[in-house]
Order: sequence, then C-alpha cells, then structure tokens
Amino acid sequence: MYIIMPSGRGGGGSGRGLARGGEGGAIRGRGRGRESGPGRVKSRESESGGIKGGSKVLVTPHRHAGVFVAKSKADALVTKNLVPGEIIYNEKRIFVQNEDRSTVEYRVWNPHRSKLADAITTGVDNIWIKPGVNVLYLGASSGYTVSHISDIVGPEGCVYAVEHSHICGKVLMNMAEKRTNVIPIIEDARHPAKYRMLVGMVDVIFSDVNQPDQSKILGLNASYFLKSGGHFMISIKANSIDSTIAAETVYQMEVEKLQMEELRPTEILHIDSCEEKHACVFGGYRLPRKQKADTAV
Amino acid sequence: MLVLFETSGGFALFKVLDEGKLSNVEDLGDEFSSAESARRMVRLIAFHKFDNTSEALEAVAKLVEGTSSKGLRKFLKNNCGDGETLAVADSNIGNIITEKLDVQCVHNNAVMELLRGVRSQLTELLSGLDDNDLAPMSLELSHILARYKLKITSDKVETMIIQVIGLLDDLDKERNTYAMRVRELYGLHFPELAKIVQDNILYAKAVKLMGNRINAANLDFSEILADEVEAELKEVAVISMGTEVTDLDLIHIRQLCDQILSLAEYRAQLNDYLKSRMNKIAPNLTALVGELVGARLISHCGSLLNLAKLPGSTIQILGAEKALYRARRMNHATPKHGLIYHAPVVSQAAPEHKGKISRSLAAKAALAIRCDAFGDGQDNTMGVETRLKLEARLRNLEGGDLGAFEEEEVYYKDKKKKADDEEEPKTEEPSKKKKTEAELETAKEPVKKSKHEGVTGLLILIFLIPLIYFVYVNQLAC
Repeated sequence: MYIIMPSGRGGGGSGRGLARGGEGGAIRGRGRGRESGPGRVKSRESESGGIKGGSKVLVTPHRHAGVFVAKSKADALVTKNLVPGEIIYNEKRIFVQNEDRSTVEYRVWNPHRSKLADAITTGVDNIWIKPGVNVLYLGASSGYTVSHISDIVGPEGCVYAVEHSHICGKVLMNMAEKRTNVIPIIEDARHPAKYRMLVGMVDVIFSDVNQPDQSKILGLNASYFLKSGGHFMISIKANSIDSTIAAETVYQMEVEKLQMEELRPTEILHIDSCEEKHACVFGGYRLPRKQKADTAV
Repeated sequence: MLVLFETSGGFALFKVLDEGKLSNVEDLGDEFSSAESARRMVRLIAFHKFDNTSEALEAVAKLVEGTSSKGLRKFLKNNCGDGETLAVADSNIGNIITEKLDVQCVHNNAVMELLRGVRSQLTELLSGLDDNDLAPMSLELSHILARYKLKITSDKVETMIIQVIGLLDDLDKERNTYAMRVRELYGLHFPELAKIVQDNILYAKAVKLMGNRINAANLDFSEILADEVEAELKEVAVISMGTEVTDLDLIHIRQLCDQILSLAEYRAQLNDYLKSRMNKIAPNLTALVGELVGARLISHCGSLLNLAKLPGSTIQILGAEKALYRARRMNHATPKHGLIYHAPVVSQAAPEHKGKISRSLAAKAALAIRCDAFGDGQDNTMGVETRLKLEARLRNLEGGDLGAFEEEEVYYKDKKKKADDEEEPKTEEPSKKKKTEAELETAKEPVKKSKHEGVTGLLILIFLIPLIYFVYVNQLAC
C-alpha cells in the first residue's frame, strides 16, 4: 500500500514526517532516496511514456555520478534530460515531480543500443564520465550515446562527437543543434590533425569506431587531445579486428597494442549480454607511475 | 623556433624560449603541467583573430584540406623572422608553407609534445582570448564546418515546401471566401450575373470592368468572356431586377475584385515556385507523381527523410489514416489510396484499376523518394523512366487480354530484374495463361474427345461391375 499526500505532492514529499523507517531527507528530483519495502510513491505523470505508462517509478542516483536508475517492474538506466521535451530516437521518458512542483525529465538509456549503457549495467567500476568533464567521442554515429553522455556531463562539460559518415552526420548535426554542449565533427577519426582547431584538451576519450586499427586511432587521438592522467574507454568488437581467431585472443592483442600507445588498461569488461563477442576496455593515459597501485579511482 | 597553433578563434604563433628542453621529448609534457612553467617554455608573439565566421570557415576548411589560406600566409609572412624554423601540426601544411613562404617547417615527436602542452595551457598562454570566448567559437565553427562538409545548402531544405503547401491551401480557401462574398455583394445590384458567369476570376474581372451594370451595354467584354456570354450579359443587364448601388459601394466592390485577382496571380506564382523547389529537392518524386502530390506527401511526414523511411504500402495510404483505422477496427476493407489518389497516373486510371495502379505507384514512389533523400539527386532520370513504365502498365491493365503478349513478357522480364520472389509466381501465371489460350484452339478437340472418352469409359465401368457381380453370384447360386 502506498500513501499519497493529500497536497498532491509526488516524489520525495512524503518522505518526511512519516513514521516508516528513516528515509534520508527526500532527494530533490528523485522519487525517493532509500526505500523500504512497500510504500512506493507514485511519480506524477509517467503518462507520456514511463517504463509502463502510469506505473509506479522510482528514480535513484546510480553509483556513477550523473546516471540514474528508474526502478519499477523492470529496472531501467536513465539520464537527466539536458533539453527537456526533446527526444532523439523515440526513447521513453520518465517524469518525476519535485517538491516545488517542477518536473524533472529523465530519458531511458537502452543498453541494447548503447555500449556504454551495456557496460554500466554489466557493472563497470568507473566510467570516468561525470558532470563537468570534456569528452571526445570517436564514432559518434547518429548520436544516441552522445546525447546521453551530453546529459551526464551537463552544461559545464563538453562532448566532441566525431563521425565520418555523412548520413549519420546529418542526424548528429540535428541533435547537436539542440544541445549546446555537443560539438559535431564530420571527419575521419584517423586524422585528428584535421579537427585540431575545434578540439581542446579532453578528460576522457570514448572510442566506438570498430575498425581494425582502432587502437592506433585511439592512440593518435590521445596524443593530440587527451590530457595526461586522462582516461579512455574503447569498445572492441572481436569480429571487426579479426574474425578468424578467438575473441579472448583478440582482446589480448588489442590490450597489448593499447599499452604500446601509453594507454594503460585498468578494466576489461565483457559485454556479452546484449551483443556477442564484445568487450569494453577502460583505462588511463600517461598515468603517473606512483598511481599504479590504485588505478581504479 | 616558432610554433604555429590554430584555434577556432584565429592563428597563434608562439616562440619557444627554451629550445634545449626539446631534446628531452619524454619530459616535455611535464613542462606544461602548470601555467608558469608553460610560460617559461613558450611565449605568444602574434595572434591573428578571425574577423568573421566566413573567414574562419575558409581558413579552417583550407587547413583541413591541407592547403593554406591567404590569411594564414599573410600572418606567417608578417611574423616569421628569417632563419626561424616553424613547428607545425601537419606535415602537409608544413610542405606548403615551405614552398610558398620559404620558411623551414618541422614536424616530429617533439613538436607533437609541444603542441600538446600548448593545447593544455591554451587559455593561459593566449592572453587575448578567454576560455569563455573560445568555447562558443568552437561550437559555431564546428557547426559551420560540418554544414559545409555535408553540403547542406538552403536549396535542399524541405521546410519551405511544407510551408508553401500550407500556404497554397490557405490561399485557396481565402480566394473562395472572397469570391463568394463578391457574388453576394454584387448580387444585390446585378443578381443574374452570378448565374451567367460561373468562374470566380472571370466574375471578378467582369465586375471590375463594369462597375455599374448600366455600363455593360457600352463596354467590350471580349477579352474576359466568350461572345455568347457577353451577349447574354448585355441583354440581362438592361432588364436586371437588382437594386441601385452608390459609387462608394462600387469602389469597395471593385477593390475586393482587385484582391481576388491579385490572390489568383500570387497563387500562380506560388505554384511555379513550388514546382522549381520540388524539382531541386526531390526530382524523382516530382517526375513520378507531380509536384503537388509530392509536396503533400513530404509535408504529411514532416521531412523528406521521414518519408524515405516509410515502406511503399504506407505511402499508398498516407492521408487516408482515418479510413484505414476505421476499416481495421471494424474489419472492413482498408482504403486503396490516400494522397496518391491525386497523382496523374492514378487519376487517369479507370476505377477498377485504381487500386492496382496506386499500389504499383506507391512502391515505385518509395524507391524514388529514397533516391532523392539519400542520393546526390540532381537528375530525375529514374523518376521519368519509372513513370513511363507505370503508364505502360496502366495501358496493359486497361487493354486487358487484348494486350500484346510480347509486351507483357518484356515488362515482366524487366520486373524480374528488380524483384526476385514475388515475380516468379507471376511469370508462371501469364505463361500458363498464354499456353492455355494459344493451345486452346488446337487442343479443344482432343481434349473434348478425351473428355468424352473418359466419361463414357467411366460409365461403362459403372454398369459393368454390378453386371459381373450378378453373373458371378448367379453362377454361384446355380
């Protein structure tokens, strides 16, 4: 059974003043912080597409800053929409009401469409992308994952989205017109010299290009734009590199190539839940030697 | 040594203060870890800010191609002293600069590290530019550059089409309303004219010319009306039962007529404009269905890209959604055509063939739209050819079995090249048809005979068996 406050406040409002196992002060914008058993409060209007229209949805922050989890019958990864009212690819949105009656809009992040979301749901330690960082995204395609990263880094951060294909480029440009923290670059990621005047130093490079020489591409871009002590994530599709040998061997080969480019991997994650023979490698660039002991910070 | 560093705000030239450190490439990065040490390493000696976005676009586009723009050459000429080496980010640019300006260029690992360092401390080193300045400039420049790369010209933007179609509809409505109003107004004075002159534009012209109906007898209407109509008009003008109107009223009525005529003219101009636009944006679709229908299809979907994603079956019934869902709900037959109904190919077809033709047209239209949306699309050869084929098919349909067999065969052969599975049963059927029809004459008699024989044979058997049985039984009995 759940209780709705007569004042009609959804969300965190009912956290206070109820004798029901201490809830921390209601966290703004989310359904409720820590939850105990029954007593979910219905979040106002999931009508335009909650996970299931009108179902009770609870939005809590994820371990990774900037990412949230929406719990209902099926859990979903969501990010807070930087441009409320706009959706990219018919994804569902979740609306949560604040105490001050303003709604916060969250967009659902689909792990089947986005490798980063897949990595998060599989349980990566650290994605290194948080509010305020600058990200260079190689292989932006139509901009689905880019839009979510743009949600996470927020207005202080910046996402440089590099995509070579013209058709995807047009869609990317339309998306970037609405979001001012996305800078679209329609160039081949193999030649970072061609977009050097548009990009500053970044904190994280995210690479999803699926080319056989993708380690070299990442290394070259890192040498141009990734700050020392910065981090990277590269998604490896075993069949793109070499379809004849076993996936594990491919991953090992790629890791060695990365290490030659001063990119030190800290985590190798197999994301087989949504796509076969895919792995994500997370790591750091030119990390100072002292930090070798505790790289996963 | 000098370092050339390009930003979205302009070109920067730095002088390396401590060249000794360049030899130690590994630790070069550390030199730039803080602002002060960076400043000890390099110093800004010149900065050329881009005056406006078009200059920025030109400069950067040239850099991307690997050539140098005039601005860059001038900047370097003015600021590179003799005997200086210039560190550049790209060896192509280096070669060009050496060629044109006779300045030694260098590009190696040390240079890369230097550039890295400069980039990480850019805001500190560039005193003329702030962090807040550079970011929006980057954003703007990236959009402009991307648009330039993707060749998104205003020619190809289809939002104009959608607006123009709406405008055309509005204009039509307005024109109709005004025309009705003029008829009513003038009808007080000369009611018979409304029945004589049916067309709105001619009515307006006639009223404008006449003013008061008394003048009708003296004026020449031959430019506006046909002779009989003119004669009738003049006759009726004399015996009309309408009331008198003042000159003031007439002035206003005349102004209304002017409005109607200018609206009509504007609409014609708009039509031409739409035609030229549609030909630029979607030439194949225009060749296939005409510009009005094409424009309506695009505006229904919101954009050419959206339209291109639809399958042919959807295009067939775009615009008839109400009928479609109603039919689905009540389990009736779904509509055969939506907006496509007004395409010339479909409207020329006889009612019983409209369904078939609209299906074929929709399928071909889907292809044409995709050609336009994703191809370079300046030519409409695909559309024109397809239209001819469709018209041939229509003629076949209407000609029925009298159509020449060879033509049919050729047509189906063509179809086979484009589609695989669906055509095989189709090709079987016409060949079967052909066989039976051609052979029917010759095969009639033997068939008949064999049929006859078969039938009689059966009958004989049917009678024989009981006979034999009885005989047998009798024999036994006996």
